[in-house]
Amino acid sequence: MPARLTVENLSSYFFTRAGLVKAVDDVSFRIAGGETLALVGESGCGKSMTALSLLRLLPEPGRIVGGEIRLDGKDLLRLPQIEMRRIRGNQISMIFQEPMTSLNPVLRVGDQIAEVLRLHQGDSPQQALEQAAELLLQVGISDPGRRLRDYPHQLSGGQRQRVMIAMALACDPQLLIADEPTTALDVTVQAQIMDLLAGLKEERRMATLLITHDLGIVASNADRVAVMYAGQIVETGSVPQLFDNPLHPYTQGLLDCIPRLGQKEALAAISGQLPNLRLHQDGCLFIDRCPGPCTPCGNQMPQLEELESGHWVRCWRY
Amino acid sequence: MPPLLEVRNLRKSFRVNDPLGKSSGRLVAVDDLSLALEAGETLGLVGESGCGKSTTGKLIMQLLKADRGEVLFSGVDLAQLPPRQMRPYRRQLQIIFQDPFSSLNPRMTVGAILSEPLLIHNLCRGRKVRERVIELLEKVGLSADHEHRYPHEFSGGQRQRVGIARALAVEPQLIIADEPVSALDLSVQAQILNLLQQVQREHDLSYLFIAHDLAVIEHVSDRVAVMYLGRIVELTTADELYRNPRHPYTEALLNAIPVPDPEQPRPKPLTGEVPSPVNPPGGCTFHPRCPYAQSLCRTEAPPLNPCGDKHLTACHFSDQVGRYLLRKYSA
Repeated sequence: MPARLTVENLSSYFFTRAGLVKAVDDVSFRIAGGETLALVGESGCGKSMTALSLLRLLPEPGRIVGGEIRLDGKDLLRLPQIEMRRIRGNQISMIFQEPMTSLNPVLRVGDQIAEVLRLHQGDSPQQALEQAAELLLQVGISDPGRRLRDYPHQLSGGQRQRVMIAMALACDPQLLIADEPTTALDVTVQAQIMDLLAGLKEERRMATLLITHDLGIVASNADRVAVMYAGQIVETGSVPQLFDNPLHPYTQGLLDCIPRLGQKEALAAISGQLPNLRLHQDGCLFIDRCPGPCTPCGNQMPQLEELESGHWVRCWRY
Repeated sequence: MPPLLEVRNLRKSFRVNDPLGKSSGRLVAVDDLSLALEAGETLGLVGESGCGKSTTGKLIMQLLKADRGEVLFSGVDLAQLPPRQMRPYRRQLQIIFQDPFSSLNPRMTVGAILSEPLLIHNLCRGRKVRERVIELLEKVGLSADHEHRYPHEFSGGQRQRVGIARALAVEPQLIIADEPVSALDLSVQAQILNLLQQVQREHDLSYLFIAHDLAVIEHVSDRVAVMYLGRIVELTTADELYRNPRHPYTEALLNAIPVPDPEQPRPKPLTGEVPSPVNPPGGCTFHPRCPYAQSLCRTEAPPLNPCGDKHLTACHFSDQVGRYLLRKYSA
């Protein structure tokens, strides 16, 4: 299957007063149409900064310092700003974690969805509102005619997230970035939203980049996974490869420290914490937390190696 | 001997104002809630946001005044005590909060945060205070040189360790842990859960463990109470709860958990959302979302009744529940 999105050797650095932070460090991945790639990692690992780099919306003092981002063959990093604006919200859409802060509190939800359609598709106000109602119906909101006139605060968390999804889908994007789309929601509502996203992806053949810290969500919603640690991808593979045969000690640690129903033994916690990204070390970034570091780990950074078809890992053990 | 903590028929409501400040009704956050907790036991309290689980914790701590009901601690009703007489009980009852960022005073060093309860309760003085602070830091996996640092110098997990050390400082019998790990990353969450279980064994502590994550609750608890819209709908041992749920809401929660195993079936969503607690549905409050609901459920609220050994459920048709359970858990 041809890749819709290809990211090669993407690096985004933050030039802070306290020093250089490599938030995204030589990250490469590809996503085909209709495919979901999950980007997994803990807070501060660079998964959200990778997503914002794709949109070229990195906050100051961050900058993309190298690499290539190709969407259907077009290199996004070479586009002038004005063309990039036409792509955001149109060919690439994003759903954020907190629907309350990403919707405008003083605009009716109908007008917010319609704005996207008028801007990118040149719809008339009337056309745009009609299409907004149609979109709300598609994302499972009943009585869309009335909901269009509601303000965000009148909706529940789950409904707000549905509105966000309706906005993201308004222009039929080639790539949907879902950044922790259900983290702020209750577990029964989370299941509803993930079901909705799965159905829409099937219908529209979008490429989806699903950013999450929850390996449970990954197992039931993604086709492939990339595990990030301290700005780098440390392991990537298909969902069955990664869950049945995790290779990187960090991936193994993450899978072991999840409490599972029916397990009463003490959890196998990963010791220590994330390294300070301002102190650049030569060797493997996971070395301080690794249960079995070997000789080269301390002074040489391991590279991603393909150990079986499509299953890559960054570790000196292999 | 009475249980360490017994809560009887607790009720708390809040006045709700519309945006213009006019009273628009009463929200019943906790309704007719009863539970008991033995020494050394962990009781889990699980439910979705707004179900009243944190309010229950605050009512037990006497941080909120209940409309009615009793909170018996070693047989003494805390709700009736004047503030002065409450003080010795505050030493027995401690709380750990969800957000380790906002529950520590940013202008106090960790040493000051940990010595404050020791001084307030006259537990030690002089040089002994510092010795005790260092002992506490070491107990929760921090070191003596952390004493002079401020909360902002710590990571989330380390701050939660400070919160635990502060609760342990006064050697309480019962700790209410209100979502103690939900703000933490997975790898740190496991460290903190292990620490909580370790100090429980060392000090013979009881926990009321409040969380929305059923897998976390099941891992740490001896018994679990499931709450929905201010009421306990099911209460039983942790093992029994996931193997043999007898309330449709518990079954739905179990079905909605994403399991980190691609072979398992996809979570099955429940229809609808949690109704507004200001205007809850009549009859059984779960009936609009319940796959087992019949006409009786729309008119009559089911009481919390025994349905087996050490198993309580509030459902008219509890004998049918389990039919839609997605995954079977074996012993």
